[in-house]
Amino acid sequence: MQRSLPLGLCFIMGILMIIQFFSPHPISQQFFDTIIKWIRIISAFALVLGVRSISLRHIEAVKRRKSGFVYSIFTLLALVITAVLGLVFGIGPKAPIRTIFNNILVPLGATMFSILAFYMASAAYRAFRARTFEATLLLISAFIVMLGMVPIGNWISPHFPAIAEWILSVPNMAAKRGILFGVALGVIATSLKIILGIERGWLGGRR
Amino acid sequence: MKFLELLTKIPRRIIFLILAIFVIFPLFKPLNLTTKVSIRTYDLFKAIDNLNGEKPVLISIDFDPQSMPELYPMYLSILRHCFAKNIPVIVLGLWITGVGIGEEGLKLIAKEYNKEYGKDYIFLGWKPGITAVILGLGRSLKETFPTDYYKNPLENLPLAQKVETYKDIPFMVSISAGSPGYGDWIAYAQTRYGVKIGAGVTAVSAADAYPYLQSGQLTGLLSGLKGASEYEYLVEKYGYSKAFKSATQLMDSQSFAHLIIMILVIIGNIGYFLLRRKR
Repeated sequence: MQRSLPLGLCFIMGILMIIQFFSPHPISQQFFDTIIKWIRIISAFALVLGVRSISLRHIEAVKRRKSGFVYSIFTLLALVITAVLGLVFGIGPKAPIRTIFNNILVPLGATMFSILAFYMASAAYRAFRARTFEATLLLISAFIVMLGMVPIGNWISPHFPAIAEWILSVPNMAAKRGILFGVALGVIATSLKIILGIERGWLGGRR
Repeated sequence: MKFLELLTKIPRRIIFLILAIFVIFPLFKPLNLTTKVSIRTYDLFKAIDNLNGEKPVLISIDFDPQSMPELYPMYLSILRHCFAKNIPVIVLGLWITGVGIGEEGLKLIAKEYNKEYGKDYIFLGWKPGITAVILGLGRSLKETFPTDYYKNPLENLPLAQKVETYKDIPFMVSISAGSPGYGDWIAYAQTRYGVKIGAGVTAVSAADAYPYLQSGQLTGLLSGLKGASEYEYLVEKYGYSKAFKSATQLMDSQSFAHLIIMILVIIGNIGYFLLRRKR
């Protein structure tokens, strides 16, 4: 029952949603409206489960003094402080949570992303070698796109933006489209496997 | 031999220092290099520019503070464009961490153009259930968001009276740093309801959006800081704003950063090949 009920529900809902997509009948649209409401409610529950899951994981790490448990303490403190401040003082423009967001989260996020540029420069210098024909081709395209994407490239030669645009619009797009088709077919196959009960990983990992 | 080895082993700290100097320098002494506006940016600009202002543009803030330097200038420029043309704006977000950014930008630009909340713009905030939110807007805005971010019932806001579903939204822009983002809007709003969508994305993810441009599922694309600076340029050129162009100034830093990376790669390769020949 524990496994057959979710499997049965998944099969019925999967088939109904496929039929619904192709049917403009009012009953079908009513069904769709109801499902959207259900998804919203279930998503809200998922949020609660997410908070519970992250709390348990980090409480466990602190209890067992796992390596890096200090970070877990910070995570738990941040979770409790932001939740309490948000619930008590609200989310208005002068609320403490806004101060935390603007003065801690925004600068930390921006700093993390900016550091990437430094690591990318260092990694490109160390790893980007024209060892093979393919690597050379990649290197040349990378240089053209990098120059084409910044005003200095246009200043050096107005051809750089045009060639960069061609690289992005033709070879890049052809490759991306191939990948997208592959991914789409994979998604369809996996979805069918889930609906038909062949793929059961979502039930908790046990086959 | 030692010199050749040095070419392939420049200490990381030196690289960081050089990059930092060349990134900071243009912030104090801008080069004011001209940017060539790409057709993708122009398409997005024209899509908004051709609207008559009767119906609102929907903007989705699908990014967080990490991508702010690239995406926030796009958001501000698009808002300036809309408000200057008296096009109402509805803003929501698929990323909970983007809510603060969305609200701050909206308030800032609305004040700049003396726009009134509820009549000229609405901020809906964030709701759990991304797919349900996007699909729900196709059925009913007021059912999906019974209240706005400030808990005002939507039925009390004049702008919300004009919008029932996507059919009342002639254009939407997803300013997106990943997933959820423009891909979800294409999958659920464009494919199912035929919403006309434009996107602003980080430079690193711009290549992924190209297939959607050719298929017509995306009407225009702003890619990275370059896209933002191009949009700033267009907004100024058409006389919609004379505000400070932050993305344009940052493009100088990006120009130098790209040049430094290329020079470093060339130095590394010269050292590598000369060393290989000697051995």
